[in-house]
Amino acid sequence: MSHSIMIMCEQSEGRILAVTDELIACATQIADHYDSRLTAVLPGLITEPCSISGADLLVINSPGLAQYTCEGWEKAALLATEQIKPKIIIIAHTSTGYDYAPRLAALLEGCCLTSVSGIEITGDSISYRRSGFHGKLDLLYGVGKAPLVITVLPGAFPAPDWQAEPGITRIIDADIKPKLTSHVQFSIPDQSNTELDHAEVIVAAGKGIGQAENLLMIRDMASCFKRSAIAGSRVACDNGWIEYNAQVGLTGKKVSPLLYVACGISGSAQHISGMKDSKTVVSINRDPEAAIFRYSDICIVEDLEKFIPAFLQEAKKHQS
Amino acid sequence: MRILTCIKQVPDPESRPMINQEKTWAEYGEYTSYWINRYDEHAVEEALRIREMIPGTTVDIVSIGPERIKSAIRRCLEMGADRGFHLFIDSEDYLSPSIKSRLIAEFCHDMKYDLILTGVMSEDMMSGQTGPMLAARLGIPSATSVMKLSVNGLEGSIQVERELDSGHRCSMDLTLPALVGVQSGINRPRYPSLSNVMRAKNTEIIQIRLENSLLKVVSCETVEKIQEAGSDRAGIRLEGTTAEKAAVLWRMLREKSLL
Ligand SMILES: Cc1cc2nc3c(=O)[nH]c(=O)nc-3n(C[C@H](O)[C@H](O)[C@H](O)COP(=O)(O)OP(=O)(O)OC[C@H]3O[C@@H](n4cnc5c(N)ncnc54)[C@H](O)[C@@H]3O)c2cc1C
Repeated sequence: MSHSIMIMCEQSEGRILAVTDELIACATQIADHYDSRLTAVLPGLITEPCSISGADLLVINSPGLAQYTCEGWEKAALLATEQIKPKIIIIAHTSTGYDYAPRLAALLEGCCLTSVSGIEITGDSISYRRSGFHGKLDLLYGVGKAPLVITVLPGAFPAPDWQAEPGITRIIDADIKPKLTSHVQFSIPDQSNTELDHAEVIVAAGKGIGQAENLLMIRDMASCFKRSAIAGSRVACDNGWIEYNAQVGLTGKKVSPLLYVACGISGSAQHISGMKDSKTVVSINRDPEAAIFRYSDICIVEDLEKFIPAFLQEAKKHQS
Repeated sequence: MRILTCIKQVPDPESRPMINQEKTWAEYGEYTSYWINRYDEHAVEEALRIREMIPGTTVDIVSIGPERIKSAIRRCLEMGADRGFHLFIDSEDYLSPSIKSRLIAEFCHDMKYDLILTGVMSEDMMSGQTGPMLAARLGIPSATSVMKLSVNGLEGSIQVERELDSGHRCSMDLTLPALVGVQSGINRPRYPSLSNVMRAKNTEIIQIRLENSLLKVVSCETVEKIQEAGSDRAGIRLEGTTAEKAAVLWRMLREKSLL
């Protein structure tokens, strides 16, 4: 059984981004088993010659694709599927990918799996792993004959450190214009936070702190350490407890301190992606099954309203 | 303006999902609390805000699921929504986003909604698919992770601002009808007012029954196996009383020269 696999390149201003290599790594795992052909698709307004290692490249070139729109990418991907007739389409799980991937699947009468973190191959069948139930369980999905669109979590499939031969590049000059989308404008809000950037220890508050008053103990805990700062999960920021420039995660800051203390944070994939490179992670959570414990070195199943005061007490003892 | 908000009811994240015997799905115990998916609550709030700005706007709610989800629909009515539709299915099994979006698309057929709002994803399954798939099936534009939304008066369009990775933003106009996946932080959901709670008591939730067999036919992906999630780090769990754990933590951090 051989089938073609289509990979949607992640790009910025016509340049292919590194996460695309991870998509090819994922595709290669499948291809090794099924003798599939890999074709990467690059939508954009492409001015320079390009190629990609490990796959052929199909450039969908159009002035209307100079910047990302859901509509434009959907049309480009549909055009590419007519050429490639893929059984599997692999897309990065980024704010671009998850915006159009499910639409593409629906239009192809196929199915879609998002945030895929792994693949398991047994005999002739492939299962796709993603987490569910608040990140507490791993689910393995099987798929039928319909075309499959998957979005792959960045970091889940490490890119190979060797360079495969670049494939053949083919360019289609298309006339794709978004009709229902206009006035597209990108901006970068100022979210600088030097304290957090330089902190060696970060004490982070989640929804589990329950109320603004409890920030006091989060601050007190942080001040037990030198070069420390406080931060928060998205919910802590949404609730107005922590400034948005101290939000850790996918849409916030990426941090890698010597010590990260997660207080009342459940450990959603979006939060983890911002702190998983911390040297040591301590988590305080009253739910023994909380996903955060899977990413922690020291796990404390406790009510933080009891535990943090106890820790502060202990610290005081050593001070005097 | 006619607005539809699609909502999902999710279990308390602190409750424990129990894997079934076949290891193909997980269930929650009888005493589990359920509430509205947080992102959907923001979507409902956004719909109500638009209604306050544009006279003559109606806000409908739709949700798919068993009897228990009625309380989530009721809560939206208490927040101020006009009508609640319950696409009833007597099952707690996996229902793929592909099926859900088909069912809602069918429901939307004669309703002529100008704007459909959803949460960006559900807190429990985190697929983020039902909204975009629904939009594709209806042939309308969509935007996910939306942090700002305004209706452009007479132009029949909306302006949205999406939040991108690393906090970057992208704004754009979408021609109506359109679908918007709302991100948290867009607003602060209101608490139901007493008068709305009273009104909601007298508002009937409109139930539409779905055939279980119908759901199987169009099913696409299936869950083959479900298991405890693996660990990225070999974490140790501290034991003992609260004070003992605090002392052990202090010592461990000291040994790592962090204190
Ligand atoms: C596109 C997108 C991007 C996102 N980006 C980010 C991001 O950058 N950063 C981010 O953090 N999130 C992000 N999120 C949100 C993310 O999915 C989660 O919703 C969020 O991280 C949850 O925050 P939390 O852990 O504080 O809250 P919850 O998930 O509600 O967890 C609260 C935890 O506190 C525990 N708890 C409650 N009370 C106590 C107590 N008294 N003592 C001890 N423990 C207690 C509970 O057991 C629970 O585990 C994003 C979501 C989307 C859709």
